[in-house]
Amino acid sequence: MPKCLIDGKEVEFSPGENLVKVAKRAGVEIPVFCYHPGLSVVAQCRMCYVEVEKMPKLQTACSTMAAEGMVVKTQSEAVKKGRQGTMEFLLLNHPLDCPICDKAGECDLQDNSFGHGSANMRHSEERRTYVDVDMGPVIQKNMNRCIHCTRCIRFGDEVAGIHEMVAIKRGNNIDITTIDGKQLKTEYAGNYSDICPTGSLTLKDFRFKKRAWMLKKTETVCEGCSKGCNMEIQHEGNVVYRCVPRENLEINKHWMCDEGRFNYRYTQDESRIVDPTLRAPDGHKSAAWQDVVATLESKIRGGEVLFLLGTDLTNEELSAIREAASTLRTGIKIRTFGTLGVTKTSEDGSADNILKMKSKTSNLNGAEKLGLEPLAGDAKADTVIVFRGGRAALPRVEAKWSAGVGVFNREEASGFDSVLPGLAFTEKEGTVVNHAGIGQRISRAVRPKGTCKSVPEVLMSLLNTKSKAGQA
Amino acid sequence: MIAEQNTLFIQHFWKDSNRTLEYYLKHMNGYEAAKKVLGGMTPDQVIDEVKKANIRGRGGAGFPMGMKWSFIPKNSEKPKYLVCNADESEPGTCKDRQIIRYTPHLLIEGLLIGSYAIGCRHAYVYIRGEYVREAQLLVAAIDEARAAGYLGKNIFGSGFDLEITVHRGAGAYICGEETGLLNSLEGKRGEPRVKPPFPAISGAFSCPTAVNNVESIANVPHVIRMGGDAFAGLGKIDKSGGTRLISLSGHVQKPGVYEMQAGSMTLRQIIDQFGGGLLNGRRLKAVIPGGSSSPVLTAEEIDVVYDVEPLMKIGTMMGSAAIMVINEDTDMVKLLLRITKFYAHESCGQCTPCREGCHWMESILHKILHGEAKPADIDLLVDVAGNIGGKTLCALGDAAAMPVQSFLKKFRPEFEAYVKGQKRHA
Repeated sequence: MPKCLIDGKEVEFSPGENLVKVAKRAGVEIPVFCYHPGLSVVAQCRMCYVEVEKMPKLQTACSTMAAEGMVVKTQSEAVKKGRQGTMEFLLLNHPLDCPICDKAGECDLQDNSFGHGSANMRHSEERRTYVDVDMGPVIQKNMNRCIHCTRCIRFGDEVAGIHEMVAIKRGNNIDITTIDGKQLKTEYAGNYSDICPTGSLTLKDFRFKKRAWMLKKTETVCEGCSKGCNMEIQHEGNVVYRCVPRENLEINKHWMCDEGRFNYRYTQDESRIVDPTLRAPDGHKSAAWQDVVATLESKIRGGEVLFLLGTDLTNEELSAIREAASTLRTGIKIRTFGTLGVTKTSEDGSADNILKMKSKTSNLNGAEKLGLEPLAGDAKADTVIVFRGGRAALPRVEAKWSAGVGVFNREEASGFDSVLPGLAFTEKEGTVVNHAGIGQRISRAVRPKGTCKSVPEVLMSLLNTKSKAGQA
Repeated sequence: MIAEQNTLFIQHFWKDSNRTLEYYLKHMNGYEAAKKVLGGMTPDQVIDEVKKANIRGRGGAGFPMGMKWSFIPKNSEKPKYLVCNADESEPGTCKDRQIIRYTPHLLIEGLLIGSYAIGCRHAYVYIRGEYVREAQLLVAAIDEARAAGYLGKNIFGSGFDLEITVHRGAGAYICGEETGLLNSLEGKRGEPRVKPPFPAISGAFSCPTAVNNVESIANVPHVIRMGGDAFAGLGKIDKSGGTRLISLSGHVQKPGVYEMQAGSMTLRQIIDQFGGGLLNGRRLKAVIPGGSSSPVLTAEEIDVVYDVEPLMKIGTMMGSAAIMVINEDTDMVKLLLRITKFYAHESCGQCTPCREGCHWMESILHKILHGEAKPADIDLLVDVAGNIGGKTLCALGDAAAMPVQSFLKKFRPEFEAYVKGQKRHA
């Protein structure tokens, strides 16, 4: 491997790597705004100046490829002066409204200003201001905060495959906006907010809800489809405030779709059933766990019993249910359900040539690997028990008695005789296997709502009830 | 004055009837150089002649033209493009306009030879939007050449094909920067690109491209006709061949476009002999030697040979050879504000120092002129210019910073007079 010298440290690199990446490996952080590892290099912000031996001018680390024997200085006086100059320029027209800006605390502009700027302001002219366009339901625009890094424009062009963000006018009057001021169309709009290095593009969903530094972060995997995009649940006080993508170059790179990003909402929707219910003549009524479990146990003792398992369940949940089913009684039939028309991984595939997959559940592949068979046609049996993570599309159920175990909203619950509320993906641990066969772990971020119980808890209650009934 | 046999362009200027193909064939050995090239020279031989001719790019950077052509990869599978930069937008420059107006066929023949040399089958002329009439004249000349068989398929029976497209800009200084020009040509926003890759490797439509100034390309038929060595010999200074067209403006008796053998005159000689000295007997105060972006010279600095390297030695540049002569009555603060306003207006806005800094410099200068500035603002102005110069994506940042830095270095007392309240804006 060729080597170069960064601040006196020898670092190996592979040809074609830029100095930002190589320096990072040497433990040297070079400040950037326009550079993003998932986007093309434009060298526009002029923040990542470094000094390269034998080059008279400062170079931008993002657009300079490491070369054998290259000697790079990132902390020289010239570099510091250059970065301070850029920081000063960027703040000339920035409103410095950090106290009311959602980006504060996770803002590149703030961080780099603190690290590389000057505390003095030499500018006393009036600031440039803009009138903002409505960018639609996902993104809130605040052009006054924009530093014109063009990451958003490049994200649309290069990742989301849509040319909707543009620069108009020029020089000091340049405006970063949508074509003809239209609302955003992409189904990946949330990423605009993630990559915005300041508070110019923020999430409407997250607006004014929480300061970024108060959020706890839990690494997990999105359950929105079989892609398995790596993401982080950000939460505080047992409330999820937002989900953001985590870098995984093999799967989702740096991105995720809006469907996955906002999927968490149902887990804390007020219509979610969080206490066990039993059907009564005038609709579902809350019931005690032991009564619901006892009812369910009695219903599976005789007749034809079908367990329907959502492919939104974890491998651990699927295995536990199968094992418990064989202990409960012989002859319980087990089938899986998930996405209409996509019952096998062979029917799965990319839905938009970006990230979204056709299978709208996270573990179709895992269920298949465990040897579970998909349901064909309607769910018909004397008793049908539907185990569901929360996203699997419910099939039509024809049964004398049916129950749902897992996550359902009021409307979905009305189709069952009983609901035993379970844990959403934000509330449990486990593993899932994505469409490509990569196994990944999901992690619990928040405590379960109401009296929701995990699948093993429900199964053990059932077995316990059965053995008691047997003794009686 | 220079004898006519030692100039290549100027004797054909100023007469409308000279722009016809008929005149070109009759009085300028029209298309004989192209015939010679297509009839028996290899592309490498053409490039070698151009290298020998020592043509320094006439657009501003002064890069040796033959070398630029030799950077075009020979084995690339991609199409190659020759793009003529007719954006002529550096304030004070108006020489390319004369070439297009009066000797358009020189440019067309140059494009034909250059295209053959680098393997281009479709050349472009990117002409500034304001040159409406010139664009029409050039298109008419191209039509004339095509009708006569000098363009199109199988030119001179050589099997070589060439089409030329004239593309009009929309009026942006930045589109004179070669990669900004290429973006604009491709229908994109006129913003310079990150280099590398240089256009020779990835230029127009991501293909190998040579971008050359009008005057540079129009010299190529002369080079072939005279031979590279003879052309180089026209230059009276090392490493700079041929003649130079000069746009002389400002406070001289006779402003206009002139031609001299490269390196044959000093700035003072140009002002006195071409310009007829200063207007109305006023005294000289300063000279901007190479377009408004070049560092200003004082009246004492003009005994310098007017060519790329002597000017570089005294800290300025020849640029596009646009000389602006400034007399003693000129307010340097007002002049600098006007120049800075231009660069702030023309900044494309993509890179930070230029987008923010040029406008800030304009604001500070405005305050100085209107008596609203503090003494420290002068140093602030110099510091801001230093944070722009050498730090931007393209040369526009330098172009904006150099006038500020040089004016403040050489005429600082004029700025201080405003700040101290000794002088007021009229």
